Amino acid sequence: MTRYGFVLWTAARQQWTYRAEMAMRAAQMALFMGVFLALWSTAFGVSGRAELAGYSLPAMVWYLAMTETVTLSTSRVFMEIGQAVRSGDLAYTLARPMSYPFYQVAYSLGNSVPRFMMNLLTASAVVGLGTGRVAGSLPGFAAFLGMAALALVLDALIAVLIGLLAFWIEEISPVFWIYQKLLFTVGGLFLPLEMFPAGLRRLAEWLPFQFITYAPARAFVAFAPGEVLRAAAGQAAYIGLTAAAVTLVWRLAQRRMVVHGG
Amino acid sequence: MKTARLVWGYVRHNLMSAMAYRGAFLLQVFGMVLNDVMLLFFWWVLFNRLPTLQGWDLSGVMTIYGVVAFGFGLANVVCGNSFRVAQAITGGELDYYLALPADPLVHLLVSRMSISAWGDILFGLVVFLIAGPVRWDGVLLFLLVGLLAGLIMVAFGTLVGSLAFWVGNADNLAMQAINALITFGLYPVEIFPGVVRVLLYTLIPAAFVGSMPASLLSDFDWGRLAVLVAFTAGIVLAARGVFAWGLRRYESGNLVTVRG
Repeated sequence: MTRYGFVLWTAARQQWTYRAEMAMRAAQMALFMGVFLALWSTAFGVSGRAELAGYSLPAMVWYLAMTETVTLSTSRVFMEIGQAVRSGDLAYTLARPMSYPFYQVAYSLGNSVPRFMMNLLTASAVVGLGTGRVAGSLPGFAAFLGMAALALVLDALIAVLIGLLAFWIEEISPVFWIYQKLLFTVGGLFLPLEMFPAGLRRLAEWLPFQFITYAPARAFVAFAPGEVLRAAAGQAAYIGLTAAAVTLVWRLAQRRMVVHGG
Repeated sequence: MKTARLVWGYVRHNLMSAMAYRGAFLLQVFGMVLNDVMLLFFWWVLFNRLPTLQGWDLSGVMTIYGVVAFGFGLANVVCGNSFRVAQAITGGELDYYLALPADPLVHLLVSRMSISAWGDILFGLVVFLIAGPVRWDGVLLFLLVGLLAGLIMVAFGTLVGSLAFWVGNADNLAMQAINALITFGLYPVEIFPGVVRVLLYTLIPAAFVGSMPASLLSDFDWGRLAVLVAFTAGIVLAARGVFAWGLRRYESGNLVTVRG
């Protein structure tokens, strides 16, 4: 476990070095938040209502700030895995004294941590200035941090799973696009699940995607201890299932691997 | 004529080389179509709760998506390098184009094709046909405004990418500007407050690639079409001029590469 912690720490320090890139990401976050502020201000104005599906305007925008914070910090490690599989560089990494897929999970999390901090600061600043208030509580913020950490672990495991598909299919980007759009839609990135039609909402509640975006953000804007515990248990269950799937797929992938020497 | 032959030759060659891996080609194209379809989910849910938003309904927003996706697809299929001009400049890749007798800007732009962008073209056309009752002249107008949107995207990509001639590593900056153009382009411009709206007609001309062409399809007006055509011509000429101006500052990267 210490080895993986070291990988995480090294990746985080490496990411921190690219401050210009992080500043650009912050600008992107500010842009998205500006668009959402404008859109939802108009939507609430048009509807003439103080609340939509139980969300006030500040709550809706803070919800989006939190979902975007998590989503813009998620993993792109599938690209590196896909590239390593295609180029054969994977052979070099096998000599390391740790499991390759879990090394990638730790590496991915290390990259996510500085991005997460920068995104959280930027989104909170833009939305705080835009709405003039914070639509969340201190316990809600603590729950958000804990659940966002679990969400990033689950996302990194899914990204590694997508990366390992490169052993079977030539181009894995389309699989990632679909996963990303599932986060956008049934994951509740752009809209809280309460806005969905009833049937779709029931389906979304059972899928893993809402545990990555909706659940942490909901914990912040509407903190309820029972709901948070249930959602955290769901996150843990999906992490366990996905980790098992990664182990299994990696075993199958190793059988397809042919190393021709150096 | 020579330039048209160059463009057509590259499109044909790039498509043939992509088709060599037919499975990967189809996966990328249909993956992108599915990707684009899922982006409409947000609006579908929102318009289930609100009938209209500043005069726009679901079919209007679908038309915006259709135009932006079609234009984006066209820009990236024909001019696949238009969003990586800055990268080409800072990487010293221009040496290759400067040594050949073709127009270096056109040659740079067309020498790459984005495969997944075929999915954007397909999605754009289909979503427009689904969005509302369409007559044949409506399809022709859609193709025209889609082409204009694509030209604006290519020209804007060239303009912001050309910043690399002056500021060095402008790759991230250019990418941010292009992302802003696409992101804002997908929303009806009327939802934004006054100052932002002015920006979207000037500095980041997102209104000209989304809302304005889409509104022409539902409510045609020769005057607004003329403005769109004039803006497109202006930004294309500006992009050519700025690139040519910047080219005088370009220094070879002495990059040795092998091109297939």
